[in-house]
Amino acid sequence: MSDKFIRAISTDEIAPGGMKAVQLDGREIVICNSGGTYYAIERRCGHMNAPLELGTLDGKIVTCAMHCAQFDVTTGQALSGPVPGDLGNETLPPRVAAFLQQVGMLMKYVRTESIRTYETKVEAGWVHVAP
Amino acid sequence: MDTDSRKKALQYFFDKVVGPMGFKFTPDVELKDFLLEQEVMLEAKHSIPFCPCQPIRHDRGRDMQIVCPCIPFHREHFDAIKRCWCGLFVHKDVTDPNSLPQLPPKDVGLE
Repeated sequence: MSDKFIRAISTDEIAPGGMKAVQLDGREIVICNSGGTYYAIERRCGHMNAPLELGTLDGKIVTCAMHCAQFDVTTGQALSGPVPGDLGNETLPPRVAAFLQQVGMLMKYVRTESIRTYETKVEAGWVHVAP
Repeated sequence: MDTDSRKKALQYFFDKVVGPMGFKFTPDVELKDFLLEQEVMLEAKHSIPFCPCQPIRHDRGRDMQIVCPCIPFHREHFDAIKRCWCGLFVHKDVTDPNSLPQLPPKDVGLE
């Protein structure tokens, strides 16, 4: 095995469709079990830095729990930006409405960037990651 | 964001939803590709993949009924014509989508 790989977790620590955050070589990494194949991605969402292991993994697509931005865990490519929240028809207090308007103005400039991926390999029941 | 990658992602998610409802993607590959691309563009603009053939009315209640796949909201009509309005989805037994008549609801006894 190449020196660059670090033993991260046991394969039985993550069920298929699950994710787990680890810290390797000073980097925050999420290991994803996509149907028995393991992928490693940067922990922070490319939209607003939320921890991606709190989201959901469906096939090879991870969806962030915070604003539902989506990424391909095989390439790290951003597949979708945030989804707008549903405030319904409720009339908000003026100060809250003004605050949300200001947040909306700032959010216009927030871009969803692709995330970094890391090489993985499985050996002797352990997932190894090259951070 | 890359349009082709997003098209593949939408196809992946939609496939899981429409299958249990008795629908599949149209076998017309060119049409499927075109409609998915339109949805990616709508999603980039509105953050929601609306049906490409329906107007957005800016009435959330009504607009949510045209979020693709909108089959659950218009099930009776789609079942009667064996396709959805834009033609992205057809009944699983359909092999020639061009042979399906596009009938309005009243012509299939729904209004």
